[in-house]
Amino acid sequence: MTSFKFWHGRMVTSMMMEGRRTFGFLLTIVVTFAIAPLIAILGYTFLKDGQFDISQINRMLEAERVWRTLGNSILLGVLVIVGTTIIAFPMALIRTKTSLYRYDWLDIILTIPFMTPPYIGSMGWILFMQHNGFLQQLFPSSAWLAETFFSLFGMVMIMSLHLFPFLYLMLKNTLLRMNGSFLDAALIFGRSPWRNWTKIVLPLVVSSYVLGSLLIFIKTLAEFGTPATFGSRIGFQVFTTEIHTYLSRWPVDISMATSLSLFLLSVCLVIWYIQNLIGRKHTYGVLSGKTPAMREVRDKWTIKLGSWMFMGAVLLLSIGIPYFSIVVTSLQKVRGNGLQAGNFSFASYQEVFTGGSAGLSAFLNSVMFSVITAVVTAIIGLCIALYIKKGETKKQQLLDFFSLMPTIVPGIVFVVGLIMFWNAPWLPATIYNTKTMVVVTYCVLFLPYSVQYTKSSLSQIDSSIFQSAAIFGRSKWEVYRQIIIPLLMQGILAGMMMTFIISMRELVAGLLILPPSVETGATFIYSQFEQGNVGVGMAVAVITVVMTVIFMFLLEWLKKRGGHENA
Amino acid sequence: MKKRGLKLFTTAGILLTLALAGCGNKEVEKTEKVSAQPKEEQILTVYSAGPDGLAANIQQAFEEKTGIKVEMFQGTTGKILSRLEAEKNNPVADIVVLASVASMDGLKETSQLQSYQDAKQAEKINSDWSNAEGYYYGYSASALGIAYNTKNTQEVPTDWSDLAKEQWQNKINIPDPSLSGSAVDFLYGYALAEKNAWKTMEIWKNNGLQVNGANKEALDAVITGDKNATIAGVDYMAYKAKADGEPVEIMYPRSGTVVSPRAVGILKDAKHIEAAKEYIDFLLSDEGQKLVTEAYLLPGNKEIPVKNRAALDEIPQLSVNWKGAEADQLEILTKFNDMFR
Repeated sequence: MTSFKFWHGRMVTSMMMEGRRTFGFLLTIVVTFAIAPLIAILGYTFLKDGQFDISQINRMLEAERVWRTLGNSILLGVLVIVGTTIIAFPMALIRTKTSLYRYDWLDIILTIPFMTPPYIGSMGWILFMQHNGFLQQLFPSSAWLAETFFSLFGMVMIMSLHLFPFLYLMLKNTLLRMNGSFLDAALIFGRSPWRNWTKIVLPLVVSSYVLGSLLIFIKTLAEFGTPATFGSRIGFQVFTTEIHTYLSRWPVDISMATSLSLFLLSVCLVIWYIQNLIGRKHTYGVLSGKTPAMREVRDKWTIKLGSWMFMGAVLLLSIGIPYFSIVVTSLQKVRGNGLQAGNFSFASYQEVFTGGSAGLSAFLNSVMFSVITAVVTAIIGLCIALYIKKGETKKQQLLDFFSLMPTIVPGIVFVVGLIMFWNAPWLPATIYNTKTMVVVTYCVLFLPYSVQYTKSSLSQIDSSIFQSAAIFGRSKWEVYRQIIIPLLMQGILAGMMMTFIISMRELVAGLLILPPSVETGATFIYSQFEQGNVGVGMAVAVITVVMTVIFMFLLEWLKKRGGHENA
Repeated sequence: MKKRGLKLFTTAGILLTLALAGCGNKEVEKTEKVSAQPKEEQILTVYSAGPDGLAANIQQAFEEKTGIKVEMFQGTTGKILSRLEAEKNNPVADIVVLASVASMDGLKETSQLQSYQDAKQAEKINSDWSNAEGYYYGYSASALGIAYNTKNTQEVPTDWSDLAKEQWQNKINIPDPSLSGSAVDFLYGYALAEKNAWKTMEIWKNNGLQVNGANKEALDAVITGDKNATIAGVDYMAYKAKADGEPVEIMYPRSGTVVSPRAVGILKDAKHIEAAKEYIDFLLSDEGQKLVTEAYLLPGNKEIPVKNRAALDEIPQLSVNWKGAEADQLEILTKFNDMFR
């Protein structure tokens, strides 16, 4: 830990210098924590007794199972793109082109599905749809639905309902930015609405759609929760579950897990590369100086009704059903008695809140890890963002790329790499099997969020501020402390909240690296399904989600307040 | 101006240090304590494959009795084995408890265990479940049976082959043997003892047998009525659910079933050997064995009476030899996986 103190002490000083030392220093941090694990995977896969060796990779490539996994993962990715499109595209249109554009609170509600830990959502769906599940108890005639649901279709549906907010927000923002001048011009030059659409709107939307859907693809590949719960039930294995299987099921095969991780990493990098190519070719300057003005929209009643119905259906499926199951399960006394009057009590919650219960301490561990992660990533993220600025030099771009790597690299790959790295025999000391390891892992996984948030609020600061500060003879450090950091505070806080929310629900990292006697909320819930009391697990889930939603509203409030102050 | 800058920088530095070191320091202190004064406060690290409640009760009773602090990692047998494998370079665990004697024997064969021959009361522990040289002791066991939902089951099955009948179509499941040590034990025992075992499994498969996660997940499907019966359900979980009022019952097929012992042993790389020995003594003591029976498990010591469950001699058993079984188990597991995946 002492080296930590030293490093961070230096970091603050070096911020003033912005020179080679800053770069070297920030790079060291990022490389040690984010890149070394990936190198460790490479090493473990390709080195045997110090010799280069490809037998591991060959062994993997020869296994028929691996190709089936690859096929499954890609199929799932493509289908989830289709699924999210079906939900997100109409939703984006409704929220920009109809009278529903007014209701900004809908956006907060629409991000709840993404904030819900995916394994909890899928467990909710399973409990709802299974034979003799809640749906059949409510509507006995719906038994045939179960058969259809427990298939790839159901899995795609659950994952699409979880991931659509991403695509929706991207599409909505593109549509919003375009509302103004482009369409005005088109209207003035008098083409038919249909032609306006096909020739102007669609081409402009396509680039952001492709980017968004590739992101969805990567997110689907990296997803663990739903495949682990729903996928294992229908026998649909993907990369993440296979890696987890090789690492945690008997017979254990660690080298297979690292080879597979490498494979998954390569697939994601290829997709990321394609995304970059497309991004460079097809980005149009839709951001002109003019702020898009919203016209008053009057809909026909059919459109209005249709929009509300679509919105209602999506909310019912993405929030209503899973949360219904979760809450009901947490309240049931005897689960075998189903939905019956008198079968409900707060016993599970009481059990959670009894002093020193396993559930409560797991939950508090999560809170502690998440708070520390949020603070640490905020500080490192701030330094990196201040260094990168607009990413004009090669060094800045390199650091930018490295710090954003974790968004491209699936979490499980990082976790495997961190385990390999911190168990390396040549390390003089290791943080493996300590709580520090958990925090380090979370920081690596979630650093991009804080970098992104800080960068975006940095980009809103006009360079004239720096110039005037320079004219009035302030030192660099003063400029940072008195002007820039206060201005960035909103962004930093928003990034911290986001990091906190996401750390709270992290599952796979916890499953693989937690030290003995330590559980997080997520692993506790998961293990209640494996061994313990499902009702108590669901009670912890409800508590976690309630807290997350409160944080989301806080986040929104913070953004709004920030907007007023800046204006 | 420089002074103010320095002051700020110091404050920021302190804050950072606090934030980063907050969690780490605790660990450091702890390990320092152990090495500095090993006699006064000892920490024993136990990797234990369930059951959740029992492991926690044993931990509490042991801590109270000996004053030795226990760090417990709980997981399925598979998870624990993989953790041991991943940590080979810097092992931390002292004691390992597995829900499968075959895997335990595998650990012994690859010399990852050390012998503790003079454990107290060792002679009273079931010798079929333990190693004669004291490498591991079968301190408890669960019997595997058919756990069925009493509300949805019209005709109670009497034997394994009953579940191949049409009335059970799509209503049966089995815990995933790659997660559940006891399910592997069942497959192994059943496949060796029954000539038609694989044929019956084939019929089960055609009858819609679902491979359903860990033990509790499989049983949960029966509790909530998704399935009607679990093959190779661990009995103690069924007894526990029944005691909680859930509509579940367990039956032992008349042609015989497998009793799956849980074994405890000291790892070769253990750093706290004396504390580890005390832990084993405690598990084998009457007090420890009574805790075992309270979790509805079969005690390793036959003299201790069972509680609210069938005793060992009331359960029809297939004869199984666990020693050196690991390789065969692996083969059977692979065959099973190929069949169901």
